Amino acid sequence: MAYRSDQASIWRYRYRVLAAVLLFFVCLFATLWSFRLYHPTGVLGYGLAVLPALPLIGALVVAGIYLAELKDEFHRTLLIESMLWGIGATLAVTITWGYLEAFVRVPHLPLYLICPIFCIFQAISGVLVRLRYR
Amino acid sequence: MFCSVKSEVQRKFIVRMWVVAPLCVVFSLAAGLGVKLGHLTGLPAYLLAVLPALPILGAIFYTGIYLDEEKDEFQRNLLVQSLLAGTGGTLAAIEVWGNLEQLAGAPHLGLIWIYPLFWGFVLISYPLVWMRYK
Repeated sequence: MAYRSDQASIWRYRYRVLAAVLLFFVCLFATLWSFRLYHPTGVLGYGLAVLPALPLIGALVVAGIYLAELKDEFHRTLLIESMLWGIGATLAVTITWGYLEAFVRVPHLPLYLICPIFCIFQAISGVLVRLRYR
Repeated sequence: MFCSVKSEVQRKFIVRMWVVAPLCVVFSLAAGLGVKLGHLTGLPAYLLAVLPALPILGAIFYTGIYLDEEKDEFQRNLLVQSLLAGTGGTLAAIEVWGNLEQLAGAPHLGLIWIYPLFWGFVLISYPLVWMRYK
């Protein structure tokens, strides 16, 4: 029973994340296009700049809902552990690079790359955590 | 200071954090002074710049150790949920600020601020998670 409800949660999660990613690209394209053509400033400029972040924030909320919906304790633990390893590694990289940026002028790492970096670390640690429990 | 701390594991964690915090301040000052006054370049400058990140890497490591050693499931669960909420909050804030920085000319947020920002979100979410179980 729990397994069947988890399957439904997994599919819901996949569809929602896919929708968020598609929406992100639409918003990003619209934002870049309007900045290139109309050069918006002030509140409008800030509002447009924030637009592509909204679907990604939605994806984070979707991940939280998915975590809350998961009934299978084992899969829940795997996901939580991979997320914690992911944020640990992301913080380790950003703090090290941050000090290098501050003191020895290495190239600036744009903030919008932090989310993808977290996703990559989470994916890698997801595999490693799974291997640990084999 | 430790009157509300119930377990040996929690006490150890708090002591380690109190050791790490001043170390980070001292190393930051040393790195700042060393790079600026010593006019260091090349490998020594890189090594000195990374120095303040080491205690923070230690703090991340000890947080993982604490989560592993904590036997009280409730306390562990509280912290895990707060860390996940902190992760979500940090990624959302960074994504928004990154877009503002890139497109709307918002001031640059140094990468070294991501770690305190993360713990800020964890601190905010901890009592909220705790209240859920009251």
